[in-house]
Amino acid sequence: MNPVRRFFDSHRHHFEPGGRFARFGFLYENLESVFFAPAAVTATAPQVRDSLDVKRFMFLVIVALLPHYAFGIFNVGYQAHRAAGLPPEFFSVIGVGLKAVVPMVVVTYAVGYFWEALFATVRKHEISEGLFVSCALFPLTLPPTQPLWQVALGISFGIVVGKEIFGGTGRNFLNPALTGRAFLYFAYPAQTSGDAVWTLLLPGRSAPVDAFTAATPLSIAAVAEGGPIPQAWAEAGYDLWTLFIGLYPDAIGASSTLLCLAGAIFLIAVGVADFRIILGDTLGILVTAGAIRLLAGPGAAPYLLLDPWLHLMVGGAAFGIAYMTTDPVSAPALSRARWVYGFFIGALTVLIRVFNPAFPEGIGIAILFMNCFAPLLDELEVRARLKKRVSHVR
Amino acid sequence: MERKHLKNGFTLRISGAPDETLASLPPPRQVAAVAARTRFLKPRLAVKVGDAVKTGTLLFADKRRPELRFLSPGAGRVSAVNFGPRRSLQEVVIDLEEPEEAEAFPRLDEAGLAAVDPEELRRRIVEGGLWSLIRELPFREAAALDRRPPQVVVFLDNLEPFHPSPRVYLQGRVERFRFGLRVLEKLSGRPPIVTACTGGAETVAELKPLITDLLQGRYPAHDPGVLLYRSRHRPEQRQAWIVEGQDVLLLAELLQEGRYPIRRIVTLGGPGVASPGHLEVRLGAPLADLVGGRAAVGERLRFVAGGVLTGARAESASFLALHEKALTLIPEGDRPGGLLEWMLPGRQKPSYSRAFLSSWMPSSVPMDCNRHGGIRACIQCAFCMRVCPVDILPQLTYKAVLAGETEEALAHGLLDCVECGLCSLVCPSKIELLETLQRAKAAVREEMR
Ligand code: SF4
Ligand code: SF4
Repeated sequence: MNPVRRFFDSHRHHFEPGGRFARFGFLYENLESVFFAPAAVTATAPQVRDSLDVKRFMFLVIVALLPHYAFGIFNVGYQAHRAAGLPPEFFSVIGVGLKAVVPMVVVTYAVGYFWEALFATVRKHEISEGLFVSCALFPLTLPPTQPLWQVALGISFGIVVGKEIFGGTGRNFLNPALTGRAFLYFAYPAQTSGDAVWTLLLPGRSAPVDAFTAATPLSIAAVAEGGPIPQAWAEAGYDLWTLFIGLYPDAIGASSTLLCLAGAIFLIAVGVADFRIILGDTLGILVTAGAIRLLAGPGAAPYLLLDPWLHLMVGGAAFGIAYMTTDPVSAPALSRARWVYGFFIGALTVLIRVFNPAFPEGIGIAILFMNCFAPLLDELEVRARLKKRVSHVR
Repeated sequence: MERKHLKNGFTLRISGAPDETLASLPPPRQVAAVAARTRFLKPRLAVKVGDAVKTGTLLFADKRRPELRFLSPGAGRVSAVNFGPRRSLQEVVIDLEEPEEAEAFPRLDEAGLAAVDPEELRRRIVEGGLWSLIRELPFREAAALDRRPPQVVVFLDNLEPFHPSPRVYLQGRVERFRFGLRVLEKLSGRPPIVTACTGGAETVAELKPLITDLLQGRYPAHDPGVLLYRSRHRPEQRQAWIVEGQDVLLLAELLQEGRYPIRRIVTLGGPGVASPGHLEVRLGAPLADLVGGRAAVGERLRFVAGGVLTGARAESASFLALHEKALTLIPEGDRPGGLLEWMLPGRQKPSYSRAFLSSWMPSSVPMDCNRHGGIRACIQCAFCMRVCPVDILPQLTYKAVLAGETEEALAHGLLDCVECGLCSLVCPSKIELLETLQRAKAAVREEMR
């Protein structure tokens, strides 16, 4: 027999009723189900069920995120080498990246799982795989310099306040990963904003070399005066191609529009993400930025005149669109509500970026804000549908 | 013939589809009248073990609705009266004895049908034990005796995997079918709607002129509830009678021949059957006889009376009930999956979603009764509302039911639910949506009585 199978079979009795760890039985089940799909069969019609379960559903999101981790590890190391004025030698770059990213991921999963397991034990419910997606998303949104204790605090806040106090996955209305991210932003602005946090400094350095620009494209855009923004970016060494690939100082894995595009296409193809939300977001950004540009007229601040589609090239917009807005639990469920939800997120993102200098990136706040309105949007659509429906009422 | 496109739905590509060959079985030694698997039935026995019965002798009837009479599908001696949990009657078993005698019922020919009073016609069907084949929406129970339906819908095709094809069961019986339609017309006072699905009964030239509505769409487009939902806009208009094509033949046979019909055509299909096909069988035949030697070897199989989505689990020692037209065998699948198997692309994993490779390939795949996942809270994937053929939002209706908000569930269209089972099928959180909605419907029915 397979050794993994043997391991589970030989330890099961501890977790069964009467066993030493009977109250943690569900943890055992949970762990076992990671390796082996459960044997449970249907009790009522329909006698057969779909092969898709929540585990697979969430797993596909993690699959889509893996390239972001690969890219993030590279980029963290790459920016650190540039800031040190060193040639970006591949293995050294990867080494630096791994050393920064892996501990954050480990801490996130350990702390996140701890909270989920605690609430699951107390409430005697199963561990939902949504947790693993939240824990995969969270580190990617952080600057590589975030202290680990803050990482732990952030994910704790995200899981407990963003999810568990509402009853766990499926009952929460906020996106847990973003809730944790927003908490860090407000609680520890020094470690989550400004130009310095986005680049890791190699040991022994206290500042980047002079030739290195630490400013992110978003912060350059926010303070740009005079000339058009793409020109300011180019001066900082960010040509369009660099922006599209995402090789600039930013959150660990969120900067690559290219990977976000690929991820979004993948998630739509496998039916996990709803294209309505993604297109809604994109339309919201394009229409709003386009309208601002029209209304502003020549001579206005350069940010107001930015080509709408360039908003998708910088910062976390693409990442938020592909992975955060499409979280079905915190989005509305109905189709039209999803279009509206997406559109407003896009619109708010642009408005916050352009008009609020305190927030260089707007998408996180925009999503959390619209999360709060998702139930209302659903309710409006449901009402409209029920009005049309001639029902068998007594 | 009007062509109608029906939206939503989902066609499950499960292996084990019966072909159009028709085999007949050696005569059984026992037959039974089955009470199990008939919803809302409260049987009262009319015989006891040892009684001699003829074909067509009353065995049991419903306590509250004496017009629902269940007659003996063979002649001989009552050898067993089987009870299930909480002393519910399962079946009355008859040991057949040659020569088989039959109760005589009055015969009716074309001229007689033209002259007969609808009241008398109804009485003959009740006496002949077939009234329960005429069902009524929204609860799909035997039609009320005292109400004229706004509509009668006869449906020839059944898209649920797997059901007999009208090309097989109507072969050589079109005249009788026509007679049956006239019976329904007489009973209800209006010509029945006769539906077929594209690629089904419409491909038989003789049947074409009888079909009024040609339905195009995925499962359960054949269900009269779906058609009525789309085409009739007042709730009363949807409370139609529904009759399956093959049952029209049984009604006609009873009236024309003056004896209780004892044969019908069923399918034996599903991934657990080695050579799936059509069978001509005795009513009430033992399910094990139907299977014969055709079960797939090496698997523990579940017997399902009916199709894979709406059919009921049956004991392998049970018998075919009057209304049942299919026996489906599905492997139990009660073992854990392989190591990390759920992460693989999944060429053989059927799914409504596109999360497995199988969704991108055209072939049918085997399925088993494994639930394929743990029960979780709803993740709002919206799959259930995309498949629902009658635009119900199953997850919201479900929540309304659990919260005890019956009025809200009704406003959501609870009574339009055609009980197709697709919502439960596709739910990745494995929520028992169908079961919950069925329970809620039954509660509403109870209240409306
Ligand atoms: S609610 Fe479910 S069972 Fe009822 S019609 Fe819709 S999909 Fe079918
Ligand atoms: S299919 Fe299941 S998980 Fe998806 S929305 Fe419906 S009830 Fe929720």
